[in-house]
Amino acid sequence: MAIQISLFNKKKKIRPDGLGKVTGALKYLTDLSFPGMLYGKILRSTEPHAEIQSISVDQAKQLPGVRAIVTYKDVPGLNGFGLIFPDQPVLCEDRVRYVGDAIAAVAADTIEIADAALQLIKVEYKKLPVIVDPEEALHPNAPRLHPDGNLLHRAYYSKGDVEEGFQSCSHIVEEIYELPRQMHAYMETEGGVIVPEVDGKLTVYVGTQHGFKDRYQLSRILNMNETDIRIVSSPMGGSFGGKDELNIQPYGALLALATNCPVKIHQTRRESVRAGLKRHPMKITMKTGVDDSGKILSHKVKILADTGAYATLGPAVLDFSVEHAPGPYVIPNIEIEGLSVFTNNGVAGEFRGFGGNQVTFALEGQIDRLAEKLKMDPLEFREKNLRQVDSPGPLGQKIAPTSGARDVLEAIKEKLHENTNNSHLSDQWKVTGTGVAISIHGGGLGVGRIDPAGGRLSFTKEGKIEAAFGFEECGQGLLAVIETLVMEEFKCKEDDIRIVVGDTDSVPISGSSTASRATSMVWNSIQRMKETFRDEILERASRVTDLPVNELTMGPNGIWLTDESLCISYVELAEKTLNKPLLKVETSFNFPVSPDAVVDGSHFLYAFSSVLARVEVDLLTGKVKVLDLEQAIAAGPVVSLLGYQGQIEGGGIMALGYSLMEEAKMENGAYVNDNFDTYLIPTIQDVPFVMNVEAIEKLQEGDIYGPRGVGEIGTIAVAPAIVKAIHDATGCWVNKLPVSREFLLEQMATRGEKRWV
Amino acid sequence: MGMKEHAEIMTPPKMEISLTINGTNVVLQVPPTKRLVTILREELHLTGTKISCEVGRCGACAVQMNNQLVNSCLVMAYQANDTSIVTIEGLAGEELDPIQRAFLEEGGFQCGYCTPGMVMAVNALLATNPSPSDEQIQEALSGNLCRCTGYGGIIRAVQKVITNNNQAI
Ligand code: FES
Ligand code: FES
Repeated sequence: MAIQISLFNKKKKIRPDGLGKVTGALKYLTDLSFPGMLYGKILRSTEPHAEIQSISVDQAKQLPGVRAIVTYKDVPGLNGFGLIFPDQPVLCEDRVRYVGDAIAAVAADTIEIADAALQLIKVEYKKLPVIVDPEEALHPNAPRLHPDGNLLHRAYYSKGDVEEGFQSCSHIVEEIYELPRQMHAYMETEGGVIVPEVDGKLTVYVGTQHGFKDRYQLSRILNMNETDIRIVSSPMGGSFGGKDELNIQPYGALLALATNCPVKIHQTRRESVRAGLKRHPMKITMKTGVDDSGKILSHKVKILADTGAYATLGPAVLDFSVEHAPGPYVIPNIEIEGLSVFTNNGVAGEFRGFGGNQVTFALEGQIDRLAEKLKMDPLEFREKNLRQVDSPGPLGQKIAPTSGARDVLEAIKEKLHENTNNSHLSDQWKVTGTGVAISIHGGGLGVGRIDPAGGRLSFTKEGKIEAAFGFEECGQGLLAVIETLVMEEFKCKEDDIRIVVGDTDSVPISGSSTASRATSMVWNSIQRMKETFRDEILERASRVTDLPVNELTMGPNGIWLTDESLCISYVELAEKTLNKPLLKVETSFNFPVSPDAVVDGSHFLYAFSSVLARVEVDLLTGKVKVLDLEQAIAAGPVVSLLGYQGQIEGGGIMALGYSLMEEAKMENGAYVNDNFDTYLIPTIQDVPFVMNVEAIEKLQEGDIYGPRGVGEIGTIAVAPAIVKAIHDATGCWVNKLPVSREFLLEQMATRGEKRWV
Repeated sequence: MGMKEHAEIMTPPKMEISLTINGTNVVLQVPPTKRLVTILREELHLTGTKISCEVGRCGACAVQMNNQLVNSCLVMAYQANDTSIVTIEGLAGEELDPIQRAFLEEGGFQCGYCTPGMVMAVNALLATNPSPSDEQIQEALSGNLCRCTGYGGIIRAVQKVITNNNQAI
């Protein structure tokens, strides 16, 4: 049986950044101001697709208080950005492809003046046909949005022979699933201050999930040396993938350079919605067949993703969907084809779950439908087809052995027993139901991708153990992870540690704070550095104190004589070794990848989740309320308890929103709901009052990779569990998110079949 | 836009307002329609009060005005004249407020951007109702959005404050 811990029993540690957060004292980057600071605003396209015939800024320039206006003419370097390839213009010259495209940016003495100046900029457009549907975009006669056409990326995998497989099947389910465009809805919109320094360098105080990538992209745009740009990227008021790509940085930088003044840009919510990334809307066709005994024989998948106007990480998201289409199941015949297609809709890109959410919704939907056809218990059916400890990964690659899939299934089975339908329905027009789903989720960027990791430990002049990582604190609790791991390793106290993150001038290369990789890579870095660091510090202490090194050990406040007494404090040790070179240990390595993977981006380390959802459906209004949401997670040891629990609960509720209420609708290329008055995210009234998170900490014997990240896994299997619970309650299958009340009412009416009566 | 409107953008007509902020009297010359959230954040650099939707739907900007919870993005300067405002910066004295401590201990936040508004909302609730029911907690906090926590940690924090209060009685 797996080691299971109750998250409430282990000591809960207070986050190092907590005090500043609960008192409001912590300065977010959008809270900063500098002497002589100007305010920037960005003019975005009014058209989803058009040629720009002229841009006139003359009138706007004359408005007193306007200090600079930049257009494409003012981009000194590459007029483009994008994490994979720079296909998005920083400032459009002759064509716009979506309503977030930037055309000009203004710096002025006040926001009001900057806003007024935007209205005085005249842009003449010649409208072009707007492509809103990815299927249309693939039509040979469709207008081409990019030189290579409208197909951003195709990903394909096959093994065995699916058609032959289907012939041996006794039951086949074929369905189309439709997933919405979801908004990240981080509470802090994009923004910060860009400051030109006296030495000609530039400091960019703007949140991002990979400071060094921003630095690289900005250096290309500004035609500056990377080392002349400093990115300060923490703290952030949430990101969830949404601030991974550049957002306002290039405009703030161009304006700061043009005016030689600090420039602040903080997007309003509407500006943020219009320009920002979203989760990919996908249409997924799945055909899955089983034999009489309940073995899945064949699985055919087609994924069509609407990537919007530009690439960003669209290709990688699609690869991830394709990889996770078989899920944690062993299936002999598989064929998966994914297409990611350009349209004139908002740009879709990186978002917590990274394409796994969509495809898992479809896959688990298939599994439940097949179980129904087989008249088999859905959990038993899953069990029958589940991967074993040593099974290859979803695309046949070797992966780190794991019993995670079975562990989460077992755990949820138990929860299901406990959660017998115990609600006494006072209302005859309400029905309840329960659903379960499971998921697998890869960590890291995957094979064939540049995915460096690393960190640095040093002993500072002030006597602090300094842990430096090139990661960002987005809110996820990175600082707590670093603090906990350093304390556990060196038995020191909070006060003995200094943590440095989110500043390219003072951190080593650690890779991105994405893909559930930061916790995992901090742990791995510390494992690689700890011995050298400990040896060296004890060696120094031994020389200073004249005590034998083998009798010394690190502990709270300083170096201890094998556990008995403090023999020298860290501060004293630092003072007495001031003339020595700084004690510094660094490591750099790559995120572990599969030795034999053939498909780019496929993974080696996986986490697993299972979800139990219980819902109540109102038969008169079609309203669905989630009564219970329980998750079991297998992701290795828990590092930071509150962080772990918070990630899973928070991810779960974000996915509840995805299931039941959230859709960033677009009509003819324009956002329909562009603020929290129309784009509704879950409030405290939409969530179960108590949620349970179970952490399965077990790793296989000999596993050297430590804790896996949990930033994404809590979002993956929630939607299919909720939808199965709705089916359990009403008998209706739902293929489209967010679940539509109208659809449910209609279905319940036409079916006339009330399983609940 | 005419030249007159331009002039107004540059030098909008101002009024004098006088208000108490966290116990300190403040007199300001501001345009009468300037929003309280902007006054707090930009004129007074009290950036603990956050800004997120600017339409009264998220509670990130929540402060107390004459002991009432208000969204400061919806309050204009002239409405704040002669009032007493408490922001997150004014909540703790020498010691943390028990609500703040409970948020720390129970993980009532992650990114922390909703936290000042959320803490002010909890404070407003418990000031009038020291032992709210689950439904009353949900009702009172329904105007404060949190994207990170899923509200689990927030609920546990509020429950902890209530239990501690009850034990103290
Ligand atoms: S910013 Fe005031 S309620 Fe959202
Ligand atoms: S803690 Fe991030 S929004 Fe609440």
